[in-house]
Amino acid sequence: MRVTQNTTANLVLNNLQTIRKRTEELEQQASTGYKVSKPSDDPVSAQQILRLKGLIAQGDQYDRNISNGVAWLSMGESAMSEMGNVLSRAKELTVQMANGTNNPNSLKAAQNEMMQLRSQMVLLGNTQLNGRYIFGGFKNDTPPFDPAGNFTGTDDDIMVEIDRGAFVPINYSGGDILRGGTPPGSTGTDIIGVFDNLIAALGAGDQAAIQAELPNLEASTAQVLSVRTDLGARMNRVEGARNVLEEMKYSLTKVLSDKRDVDFMQVVSDLSKQQTAYEAAVAASAKVSQISLLDYM
Amino acid sequence: MSIASILDIGKSGITAQRLALEVTSQNVSNVNTPGYSRQTTVFASGTVTMERGFPLGNGVQVAEIQRAYDDFLQLQLKNESSTNGNATTLLAAMNRAEQLFNEFTADGLGKSLQDFFKAWQDLSVNPQGKPERQAVLARAEQLVDQFQRVNGYLNDIRTEANQSLEGITSDVNDQLRQIATLNSQIQQVEIQGSRANELRDKRDLLVRQLAENVGITYLEQTDGMLNISLDLGQPLVLGKDAATLSLQPDPLNGGLYKVLTTPPGGTGAIDITSIVGGADNSQGEMGGALQVRDTLVTGFIADLDELAFTLATQVNAVHSAGFGLTGSTGLDFFTAPAAMAGYSGMGGIGVNITNTNDIAAADVDPAVGGTGNNRNSTAIASIYDLVLPMSSGSTNLEGFYNAIVGKVGVAVQNAERSQSLSEGVIRQLESLRESHAGVSLDEELANLIKYQKAYEGSARLITTAAEMMDTILGLVR
Repeated sequence: MRVTQNTTANLVLNNLQTIRKRTEELEQQASTGYKVSKPSDDPVSAQQILRLKGLIAQGDQYDRNISNGVAWLSMGESAMSEMGNVLSRAKELTVQMANGTNNPNSLKAAQNEMMQLRSQMVLLGNTQLNGRYIFGGFKNDTPPFDPAGNFTGTDDDIMVEIDRGAFVPINYSGGDILRGGTPPGSTGTDIIGVFDNLIAALGAGDQAAIQAELPNLEASTAQVLSVRTDLGARMNRVEGARNVLEEMKYSLTKVLSDKRDVDFMQVVSDLSKQQTAYEAAVAASAKVSQISLLDYM
Repeated sequence: MSIASILDIGKSGITAQRLALEVTSQNVSNVNTPGYSRQTTVFASGTVTMERGFPLGNGVQVAEIQRAYDDFLQLQLKNESSTNGNATTLLAAMNRAEQLFNEFTADGLGKSLQDFFKAWQDLSVNPQGKPERQAVLARAEQLVDQFQRVNGYLNDIRTEANQSLEGITSDVNDQLRQIATLNSQIQQVEIQGSRANELRDKRDLLVRQLAENVGITYLEQTDGMLNISLDLGQPLVLGKDAATLSLQPDPLNGGLYKVLTTPPGGTGAIDITSIVGGADNSQGEMGGALQVRDTLVTGFIADLDELAFTLATQVNAVHSAGFGLTGSTGLDFFTAPAAMAGYSGMGGIGVNITNTNDIAAADVDPAVGGTGNNRNSTAIASIYDLVLPMSSGSTNLEGFYNAIVGKVGVAVQNAERSQSLSEGVIRQLESLRESHAGVSLDEELANLIKYQKAYEGSARLITTAAEMMDTILGLVR
């Protein structure tokens, strides 16, 4: 095969171009830290990377939802705990007053205290978090319990998504807790009603009536406790979901990094290889192009 | 007369070697001319006559000035040039399209889509919250902006591809005219018996350049003229006549150009848009521009439209069934799509809600069921995970968008591979051509010495013959 000046010149040019192109690719990888910085670098990996990024972002969002949900649930739980305390005091008082050896003054005092405890329960029913009444159902911008103790909220559950398709209610209906359903007393113990009865009985000094309310108070305590347990269980579930999300985020990030991030050692060593190749090519071509027959004629 | 014949032989030697020297100098000075094929002088000994009983030749003649030419290489180069022109055009356009879907180093449409649905999730935790409602509107506006930006840019690429046709057509017309002129010149020169080497070189170069623009086939006639036609039909050059390509806006294609040709030596324009780019618009820059304009980018825009349309339809269906804070219902969240085509561009998708109170987070009138109702906003947030029937199969919105990104990536990769492959082949072919027909300075300089010595030899003959003549004349005083 004949070799002319142009052949040599073209060869030199092409080879230098190839080396420079490869060097540029490596520099791009080194400066962004990504193997895949455009879809064309690796279309299949590109799609997978986008999917992984989407999953991680979704996980972050569920985490946010969970934080909000946890705030509501713990507020609810502490309100339940307070209600439990109020009911204990009410029970103490009732037992005391049911003994029969009480004078009108202590009865009056007991009645007053019972009324105080009753308004305390109503106040707890109107617990707020960030301006929302957590026991009001969907009607949570106004107090669900009026001073008379009537429930004006709704029984709807506020559902929050903690994982794809997994919803957890973060509230509890005030009507179900304190009034035993709508109408009062239909699905559980009407606690406010129990208090009303006790206040009336204490006012009338009716010992039998007072005695009769004791099992109702027991039932009330049990009701509040069961709601508290339910809220506690939900919190556990939500915290559990949060842990799962963290684990998943960790492993997804690992997979993402495998697919997307560049191995710096590899890139730097490749770059220095290309640099050496370039220097060698340039030196060789300079040497070869220097001599021709004209030098000797 | 024998001495005179020595003079004649010497003279033929001198003229022949001098011609060879001229050819060599032509080669040397054209070493860098693109498309130049080296020429060699072919000597033949002169006619044989009987000289005192012996047959003897009469010196040297230049039989032919031969041009180094390989038909097959020319054919292959022509084919590869078409492929290369096509791939280069495709690659340039695809690289630009790829920048739009750059989800890796910047935040693109995919992220905006995610953020939009995240805002609905935040809203479902606090439906009455003003900042959450504001965020939903803001994210929606961002999403709409992104759609319109990508759509607008893709349409720009289409328009540019369309406009590039103007440059390509005028290039082609120029080349066709030149080839036709060369055809007539070559015919005139070769009628007189010799080969028009330089003119042929020029014509071959023009043919290769033309092939970069459009896919062609050619056939050389017996009189030296080259007839060229498009790969799929229409004649471009017939002898001395060249076709003229022209462009006209096509009302059936949104005002984009259609390509017409006036046949060589004829009148009347014929529409060649479907054949000028070769099969599937795979040949030449013309084919590349047409493929970008009519197939590739149009495909991406259609997918984008489908994404926007499906998003808007799904969200609107759930939203209009819900209630806003103040009891408003039946409102579409996005402007209702009239048709899928063009929905992702200007005048298409837009946010229909301006008042944050109208965002329908509740599924029952809040005046009746309470303002904390978040069921509708949860439903809208779940649309992100919904598997919907799309044109590429059943997938969710995110999956469909990722598939579009993948499609663009594959298109760019294909164009890159095709381009580097054809470039490699062209380099090989050119190197072969150079090896076959290129000028090697070393060779020419060696030839220079050879012919110069031969010239000196022939000059010596004349001197000797002249001296012999003097001697003879001096014999008779």
